[in-house]
Amino acid sequence: MGMIALISSFLFSAEPDWGFWLPFAVLFVLIEFFAVEVNDRLLQSSSVMVLMSAGVILAILPGSDALFGLALMAGLGPLTPADFKERRWFQPLANFGQFALAGAVAGLILDLNLDGLAVSTDSLVHVLIASSVAAFAYAAVQTVLIRRAVKTVYGRDNLEPWSQMPALFTGQVTMGIIGGLIGAAFLIADREAIIVFIVGVYAIGHLSLYAFAQLRDSHLGSIRGFVKTLEAKDMYTRGHTERVAVFAQMIGEELKFTGTQLETVRWAALIHDLGKLAVPTELIRKRGRLEDEEYAEMKAHAQLVEEILAEVDFLQPMVEIASNHHGGFDGGGYGGISHDEGRSPSLEACIIAAADAFDAMTSARSYRMALSQQYAIAELRRNSGAQFHPEVVDAFEKALSKTGRRWGAPHVDDEEMARRLAEDPELSVRG
Amino acid sequence: MLSVTSWAYVVVIAAIGLYAATLASSDLSIILTAVTALVVASMVRVAASNAGHRFTTGLAVAAAVPMVLGSDLGVDLAGAIAIYAIGLAIVWTIRYLRGEGHADLLPTLVRRFAGYVVFATSYAALRVGTFAELSGDWRDLFPFGVALAAWIGVEVILRAVLVFGKRELSRSYLARSMIHDMNVFLGLAMTGALFGELWPEIGWWALPIALLPYSFAHLAFRRFQETKITYKQTIRALARIPEVSGLGTDGHADRTTELATAIGKEIGLGPVQVEDVEYAGLMHDIGRVSLNEPQILRMGYSDDDLARWSSEIIAESPYLSRVATHVRHQYEPYRKPGEQTDPDVPMVSRIIKVAAAYDWQVHQDGLSPLQALENLHAGAAYEYDPEIVASLRRLLESRGVLTPVRV
Repeated sequence: MGMIALISSFLFSAEPDWGFWLPFAVLFVLIEFFAVEVNDRLLQSSSVMVLMSAGVILAILPGSDALFGLALMAGLGPLTPADFKERRWFQPLANFGQFALAGAVAGLILDLNLDGLAVSTDSLVHVLIASSVAAFAYAAVQTVLIRRAVKTVYGRDNLEPWSQMPALFTGQVTMGIIGGLIGAAFLIADREAIIVFIVGVYAIGHLSLYAFAQLRDSHLGSIRGFVKTLEAKDMYTRGHTERVAVFAQMIGEELKFTGTQLETVRWAALIHDLGKLAVPTELIRKRGRLEDEEYAEMKAHAQLVEEILAEVDFLQPMVEIASNHHGGFDGGGYGGISHDEGRSPSLEACIIAAADAFDAMTSARSYRMALSQQYAIAELRRNSGAQFHPEVVDAFEKALSKTGRRWGAPHVDDEEMARRLAEDPELSVRG
Repeated sequence: MLSVTSWAYVVVIAAIGLYAATLASSDLSIILTAVTALVVASMVRVAASNAGHRFTTGLAVAAAVPMVLGSDLGVDLAGAIAIYAIGLAIVWTIRYLRGEGHADLLPTLVRRFAGYVVFATSYAALRVGTFAELSGDWRDLFPFGVALAAWIGVEVILRAVLVFGKRELSRSYLARSMIHDMNVFLGLAMTGALFGELWPEIGWWALPIALLPYSFAHLAFRRFQETKITYKQTIRALARIPEVSGLGTDGHADRTTELATAIGKEIGLGPVQVEDVEYAGLMHDIGRVSLNEPQILRMGYSDDDLARWSSEIIAESPYLSRVATHVRHQYEPYRKPGEQTDPDVPMVSRIIKVAAAYDWQVHQDGLSPLQALENLHAGAAYEYDPEIVASLRRLLESRGVLTPVRV
């Protein structure tokens, strides 16, 4: 489809002014190439800016059209370093068509509106309108195509929900308007120097954004690393946090959480046991029932998370979730400072609670073997509405069946048996 | 005392401005508009990116001024200086009356004014002089580039030289931290240049066009800054885990960090190393979380084990890989008897060693600051780096913890 768009645009429009096209194309490809992943897709929007600058210039210049130029330029966008490295050609090719089509639509709008316009400060408003419409069309074509492609290839529709689209479109249209303005200003002022300054400011911003993305990843990495080292003290809880994060993510996706909500839940899962890591190791490793005093100490770990992370403003919502994950849906259980006896904790806290309990059952302990997935699910079901949130349990069960993976030991279906198996390893051989 | 001297500076600068205004050839309305713009823009702070300088958008206005006042005939330099001087005098007065950071206010005013004037003067001179023969775009770009370089030079040098009595920060640290934040500075200056370049052609349309790319950069600076703060908070929080679980000593990490970063700044490390010192100080004892393992309690442990555990935990964060090395070496002596100093022991580790030892002796062993310092002196050149011990002494003296020993 993209190919058709490209060829027909080549046939029906004049050639772009290649002297102008080239630097913009290089810039566009560079931006796409070094795109930094930011939650709100800031980077994707800023490549629209370059595209629109080029489009406006190409459309206005006499004897040059934007249609083919933009289609080709946009088509070059989706080349990414990873694809080159891993020799994946299908993905960029599919994206190529989609980008080219979006570029062609934007180019056509600009051509129809601006061809041969006598550009001056009086016509800037005209340029503004045209470039915002073109940017909107570009964004719309792309998102519609992405959704269709995802639906046909993967058979599911869990990309960002439509509710997030207005924000994305606003970003794209704003960037498009800026791009159009820059292009027109460039034609009026007729000075290359302004391009140098714009690119300069942009590049500085981009570097900063890049540093930001690195730091953000490292932030996650640091906490993860800490949790990992602390968990390593006890072989039975090793990997627990990572698994809980995976389960929580699965449940959140099943409950149609937005990107930000999912991120919050992931973070909360990551820190949900941070407090426990400060509890003496003998206690965690202890076989069998805990004394009342010991139980109180274990309970204290819910508050410890709050104490440890009290000064990290960014993590406060996650800390609240994490410290309440021992609260029951019916208001029982225990929790942190914000835990309200008799009221159910937030949905997010319930998610962590279910994920935590599931992993605890399906992994081995010093006093018992790992239980089977069926047993763990049945146990969640049995306590659904009491200890666990019913919606969460439903979502979890659905999500688990979708993955097709099974957790826990295959046939250990009751607690007593699991204990006996752990006491006497011979039993499992005989049994 | 400070305020009398400060006012004297401000009055002199304002007088220069008024005198320059009488010589200016530009319209009074342009000068007034520019002064207003400079004052308003100077109230908008930009989150600094790295070493924590807080530039204002006033820099962008200042960069635009000579271009806006310029034409093919030349630049109205007197007008530009009038705008800078009057604008800065007003800004300073507002800041002073609001009670913002008095110690920094005066050096910043002088530095900014000098930087602005150097920039405008070199731009004006180059525009009609050396580069007048160049054609088209180069005629705009070259003078701007060279003038910007001169401006940056003046800012960095004055930052190191003009400290008005604050001696705890070394000149090297001051200059290097300024250079470290140049990305924000450049972004602002180029935004101003963009406006100046567009203004003669398209008038006020130049404002949105210049502002929009900048707002992208601004957002990026802000995000980076916020994430950095969060990261520091997180590391600080994680560093408290041993204390919270009763395995550490209360406040030792925090106090060591404070002292160690102060030493780093005093002996002239750059901002990147000072940041390393900060992280290393916070986490130098993080390995203590392992101390409740029964095995370790039975077998005992050495300082070296502790350094190794701490370093292993830190090494899990890719961003802190350097810090992991620093913490690994924190107990190594400066020099073993009869040997050369070990070049593999990083400066950061030696600083942590001194700061941690001092804090331990004062807060755990209950020695007086002077006794602790004496102990460090006794170990200087073998156990401790003598330069760092000397720096610690200077620091403690200027904080009034010790009475200086006169020989």
